[in-house]
Amino acid sequence: MSAATSPAATSPRGVRSRIGAFSDRHRSTSVFFGVGLAAMALPLIVLLPPFNSFSGQGVWMDGFTIAGIFILLALGLNIVVGMSGLLDLGYAAFFAIGAYTYALAASPFTGIEISFWPMLLIGAVMAAVFGIMLGAPTLRLRGDYLAIVTLGFGEIVPITILNLSRYTEGPNGIGGITAPSIGDFRFPTTGNPWPYYLVMLGLIIVSMMLIYRLQDSRLGRSWMAVREDELAAAANGINTVTTKLLAFALGASTAGLAGVFLAAKLQTVTPNLFRFDVSFTVLAMVVLGGMGNIWGVAVGAFIIFMIQSVLLKQLNIFFDNVDVPILSDIDFLQYQFLLYGIALVGMMLLRPEGLFPSQRRKRELHTEEDADFGEHGDPMGASPE
Amino acid sequence: MTSSTVTAEARPNRFLVARRSGVGPYLFILALTVVMYFVLGPKQFVNALTIGAIYALVALGYTMVYGIIELINFAHGDVFMVGSFVSLFVLTNILGATGPAPDLATIVYQLVVTFALTMSVVGVLGVTIERFAYRPLRNAPRLAPLITAIGISFILQNVVQLIYGPSPINTPQVIPPSARVDMAGVSIGWINIFIIVTAISLMIGLQLFVSRTKVGRAMRSTASDREAASLMGVDINRTIAITFLIGSALAGAAGVVQGLYFGNITSALGFQSGLKAFTAAVLGGIGNITGAAIGGFMIGFVEVTAANFGFFVWAQAAVFMILIVTLVFRPSGLFGQQLGERA
Amino acid sequence: MRLHKISALAGVSILAFAACSSSGASTAPSAGGGESAAPPASLGELKLGVTLPLSGGAAADGQPTLKGAQLEVDRINAAGGIGGYTIKLFPLDHAVAGKYNEQQAAQDMQTFVADEAVIGVVGPYNSAVGKVQIPISNSAGLTQCSPANTNTGLTKPEEGALDLRKDFPDRINYIRVAATDSLQGPAMAIYDYDTLGLKNLLIVDDVTTFGKGVADTFQSKFEELGGNVVLRQGAPADTTDFNGIINSQAVEASPPDGVYYGGVVTSGAGLFLKQLRQAGLDIPFTGPDGIVNGSVNDDGSLIKIAGADAAANSYGTIAAIGDFPAKAEFDAAFEEHFSADSDFKTPGAYSGPANACAVVLLEALKAAVDGGAADMAGIREAVRAYASDPANSFDTVLGPISFDENGDTTVPFISFYDVDTAAAGGADWVFKEQQSFGE
Repeated sequence: MSAATSPAATSPRGVRSRIGAFSDRHRSTSVFFGVGLAAMALPLIVLLPPFNSFSGQGVWMDGFTIAGIFILLALGLNIVVGMSGLLDLGYAAFFAIGAYTYALAASPFTGIEISFWPMLLIGAVMAAVFGIMLGAPTLRLRGDYLAIVTLGFGEIVPITILNLSRYTEGPNGIGGITAPSIGDFRFPTTGNPWPYYLVMLGLIIVSMMLIYRLQDSRLGRSWMAVREDELAAAANGINTVTTKLLAFALGASTAGLAGVFLAAKLQTVTPNLFRFDVSFTVLAMVVLGGMGNIWGVAVGAFIIFMIQSVLLKQLNIFFDNVDVPILSDIDFLQYQFLLYGIALVGMMLLRPEGLFPSQRRKRELHTEEDADFGEHGDPMGASPE
Repeated sequence: MTSSTVTAEARPNRFLVARRSGVGPYLFILALTVVMYFVLGPKQFVNALTIGAIYALVALGYTMVYGIIELINFAHGDVFMVGSFVSLFVLTNILGATGPAPDLATIVYQLVVTFALTMSVVGVLGVTIERFAYRPLRNAPRLAPLITAIGISFILQNVVQLIYGPSPINTPQVIPPSARVDMAGVSIGWINIFIIVTAISLMIGLQLFVSRTKVGRAMRSTASDREAASLMGVDINRTIAITFLIGSALAGAAGVVQGLYFGNITSALGFQSGLKAFTAAVLGGIGNITGAAIGGFMIGFVEVTAANFGFFVWAQAAVFMILIVTLVFRPSGLFGQQLGERA
Repeated sequence: MRLHKISALAGVSILAFAACSSSGASTAPSAGGGESAAPPASLGELKLGVTLPLSGGAAADGQPTLKGAQLEVDRINAAGGIGGYTIKLFPLDHAVAGKYNEQQAAQDMQTFVADEAVIGVVGPYNSAVGKVQIPISNSAGLTQCSPANTNTGLTKPEEGALDLRKDFPDRINYIRVAATDSLQGPAMAIYDYDTLGLKNLLIVDDVTTFGKGVADTFQSKFEELGGNVVLRQGAPADTTDFNGIINSQAVEASPPDGVYYGGVVTSGAGLFLKQLRQAGLDIPFTGPDGIVNGSVNDDGSLIKIAGADAAANSYGTIAAIGDFPAKAEFDAAFEEHFSADSDFKTPGAYSGPANACAVVLLEALKAAVDGGAADMAGIREAVRAYASDPANSFDTVLGPISFDENGDTTVPFISFYDVDTAAAGGADWVFKEQQSFGE
């Protein structure tokens, strides 16, 4: 991503590339400020009409906090699917493991009371351990097989949680999970959304910084090499097994992190929260956001979550009031998965690099004879974008 | 990105009955069958065969598609589900059937029409999906068609829900479950016999088609080495389309059978049954037709056995465990050849 | 460039929809209607929240229940409101892809809590949702009245309810008019054993909070009476093929003379019943309120899925009073009020209880307003205190109701229904008798 070389560099393009260049060199700072600013702006934006007519600021922020959980999940899955090219269809299993780890560590069910903060790390590690356990025997399989195996794993984990009632309370789930506390201040369940919001913000910033570091590191480049052509990567001396295993483990740990947070926020966990729909939704977020592009999937996750929780509901209300023949009879919420399905297929056919693609990915996906090819310049990338 | 590259040595032809796998697996299956008969008792044995037949028919589609373009067609399970709804439509709206048919002639007539129409429609559906969703992505990175397949799966499921609603729907059981025949002291339903015979006939027909006809040979050669086949004059696009046609038609037949046997279908059928049928294909050796068939029956047995001995809740998990264990320890399945795995 | 276009487009469309739609994220049914945007917490309007699964397969459960509450709200408004306030029904649908979703339910409860104009909430329907919502409503002191939750762990301290009320264990904010499974299961066990004379049963549950819970209480009572359980199996919620259980070894060895299914119809009860009959087992099929969900004409009902013939010889309980004195009137009023709706025009099993919940909450509101509470926080707390006070009795369509120190109804009823294939409008569940377990 170098500065524009085209002679007629118009000023927007110049500014964009300069920002791009700056953020490349000072990744962590720009993540911190970028995400931080967005997170501070959001609570202010929702005070303005028309957003304030839907719900109060507190409810919006609660929604953003939950969106944050999905952003974390998308960031993690992005490592596996986007950066390393390994299709993981059972991602919700690691989410469940993180959540139940905290539930078992801080609820009346077991009687233990371990504080939230160390559990964040422990939950992430637990999930990573399971990621390695799943990955070690299966990562040498080809992509499609791996996808099915992960799907199977994603199904086995909730089923096991459901059936082993003695250890997990089965279908009832574990309730009364302790909320996080700082000193004497316990995070309120209702009323003040800021504690959870800020913690989630912190988690996202830290995760993004770490993931950007990883992406730029040797490991990150190994991931991309493996994604593009595993055989060539191996021929170049990359230990593909370790590389893929690490992708799995790190991706899983992010889900574990999100799981611990979810358990602390909802204060109840049930197996029902971790079914295939969740895995599929997160996958849709990663694909639509732009596989491989870190901030792209974060934005994509946010947008999709907002669409799901706000837009579709509003569409229902809109068509309730305005009578349009077929559209008024449709309950949009019910068909969100249909929309995701259509979006996925459309994306893959038309714009597989996602809504916010990484430039490299775009080049990867459009180097062959393609209608888009003409638009994007020559394959050697002499002129970017 | 080229993950389906031709490697240095010739890729093994897995599409046919793997003669090289030897007689070992066959003996194993035979022994297993006998054991199962005594373990389960004749009634449950017949149940397992019947359910297994349905899985086998669906597994065939998975295995054929994988064999020829190395794609796991996630949407295949939902194609099966669509087949069941198409048969519902044919039976209730076109033939006006509401229940068991009054006489043998009507039964035959209704069944023939239902199978013919359903298999055709579903076959065409499969070809259409391939043409518009998979073919453009044939040279794309492996991830793209997989994700597209998932998307199509959800689209099919939700469209059916849009039309028929989310609750289970009753289907006419043309062959009444009460029609039974006495075999060696055990009462077996005619429907069971019909299903097992139909499934096996279709499988044998498929096997003959693949091994004896010109189109079948084209399929085998495309599966073995696509570029060489096209150099030899095989129309690759047409061959792949025919593969999808046949695979989907078989899934359509399975859909008809599902409706006839259970008398009830639901749009959620595709996901669950699809996964189990895929396990069957993997168990038998993906890309191998006989393997898929036998795998299907085996999965039927696993389910029935788990339920029989009081482990119903674990039946689903058991099937997935089999999937994972097979892929980890013997990825070529029972009848596939030992394939070198990429590192 | 494209990025800018896309985000601009997204932003504009969101704004466009927002501008055209009404306030609040309500999914009110066509007859109730969303009003034009009004600022929240205005002194002219107070809201009664409703938290139910209203779409997809769950609509058969949620929609009739919602309408039961709506009937009361409309009646109150027609009579001039309460203390000068109009009452607005504020339903939020927590079904995702047709099934109740706990995460969405938690978010909905947060919405209710944050909206100061909400004085109380009717719902939820599923016990699993109650588990997630009670911590939130308890923390905020917002009253919830469930017409249908039956799981004992939601109210009884010895069953874990205190874990749900962690923030304020002594502050009861969750009340319910339905009897608990600690009554429902055993009531059916006694009925099966004594009235139907069944001694050997096959018990299947759908491995959910509700299904497993009620099957457990059923089983322990049944065995206590001397009955024999041939086989007890769990069949997870998306099971479609029950033949494995029906033909299993245990069942073959000692054929049962009856079946108890702990669960709801969306988990597969209809398919189970159908397959039972296909296997030749015409034995009585019994179950809790989860299977009593409508006539042969109602989409998603047990009778429709299994078929009227298969559903004959089925018995179920409802954790509420079945033949309440004003039932005929209530049904008539309900049908008349909703005659213009496109579906769900007849009352469901929990329409009456939902109506009762609305009555309780609105009467508490009246007492609060009359008692001088003027600010929103005060009103909420006064409503809660009044509704959960064991000394108060409420005159509802189900009869007089009051709540004990845990929030459970003091007049729990279990009603028994069976399927009448010759019923007027088509095969339907008909009331047989009821038992009161109150003091």
